[in-house]
Amino acid sequence: MRIEQQPAFVLHARPYRETSLLVECLTPDYGRIGVVARGVRKERARLQRAQLEPFQRIQLDMLLKGELATLRGAEPSGAVMRLTGDAGLAGLYLNELVVRLTGRQDPNAALFAFYERTLRRMAAGEPLAWTLRRFERDMLDSLGYALQLDVDAVQGEPLEPKATYFYDPESGAMPGRAGDPQAIRGADLLALAADQAPDTAGLASLRRMMRQVIGFHLGGGELRAWRVLR
Amino acid sequence: MSNGSRLLGELIDALRCLPGVGAKSAQRMAFHLLERERQGGLRLASALESAMRDVGNCTRCRNFSETPVCSLCASASRDKQVLCVVESPSDLAAIEQATGYRGHYFVLLGRLSPLDGLGPDELGLPLLAERLGEGEVDEMIIATNPTVEGEATAHYIGQLAKAAGIRATRLAHGVPLGGELEFVDRGTLAHAFGSRQSLG
Repeated sequence: MRIEQQPAFVLHARPYRETSLLVECLTPDYGRIGVVARGVRKERARLQRAQLEPFQRIQLDMLLKGELATLRGAEPSGAVMRLTGDAGLAGLYLNELVVRLTGRQDPNAALFAFYERTLRRMAAGEPLAWTLRRFERDMLDSLGYALQLDVDAVQGEPLEPKATYFYDPESGAMPGRAGDPQAIRGADLLALAADQAPDTAGLASLRRMMRQVIGFHLGGGELRAWRVLR
Repeated sequence: MSNGSRLLGELIDALRCLPGVGAKSAQRMAFHLLERERQGGLRLASALESAMRDVGNCTRCRNFSETPVCSLCASASRDKQVLCVVESPSDLAAIEQATGYRGHYFVLLGRLSPLDGLGPDELGLPLLAERLGEGEVDEMIIATNPTVEGEATAHYIGQLAKAAGIRATRLAHGVPLGGELEFVDRGTLAHAFGSRQSLG
């Protein structure tokens, strides 16, 4: 099947055969897709490697056959988004998260839009931790793993901002004890639900909570990028 | 494929582990060695065996070396105050050949890439931090590739240098010599434009 002018972001590229690359791309209509870019590692390649770098929105022409597609053309669209410094490391985390949590060829236009919006926020220098938490929330939502952030899982009562909870990845917010390493304030869960950035302590608890939730959906594994992001 | 000799078959099969060598080239190589280059073949065999057995990584810079400390690190004539960090031994060779650099090196043997399973430990960054802590290095030249992963690695290493109070510099990137702006890709041009220099 020929696919023309499909918007995409490159998530990862690895050498494939002698001179080719296997590029994992995120697209709106085909979800994550593995694309073979033939011959791009040759010195005089027609298509330059630079066009297949992450964090640049591109338009792909490809031929989809079975699990992998073959690249026919790629051209940049939109301005170059430069993620420098910590944003670059955060970007690698974002890509690992998307590759590990999504299956190939599972169309998800919402995820593509969230991903693009997140890159724009990071390129614009918005606070990284909060930007990543918003993406994780939206991504889980778009994959059908939506977080239950406003009512407690036992009684179904609205969360108390001042109360302490812990978030169980399977059921949701459960009453917790202060001092528990996984404890999180109701206010922080409500802040994430309302898309209002919490304070530094709140961001730290949300990060702990998200790692646990993501670890659960990975089937108990962990992301390599967690060792890089401090 | 049957060619009447088991050993020949094994040789052809073994040669295919080389990059760019498929069944056909492997067969050509094997026939060439047997027909015309027996001496060369034996030399290759012994060089290959000793290199595979004895070449390890330098304990200072992680470059390939058969001694615990490689000749570059052991050399007294090189400048101990400058340390150049590269991704691979081939990058080191390229810098040695193209520039008059006389300092020391550190070879990462990769770049930070979570999806390839490469984190700070795999790249020997604890060893690099230790080296920076020794206090001999004044400047660290970060010569990782200008890719997204190379840039992220450069940033991470730059933080190590900062923590040790060492000046970190990064290779410039821009329009290739003899190139034409019209044909330079957008990203490179944007970079070159952003880091333009004053004349004179």
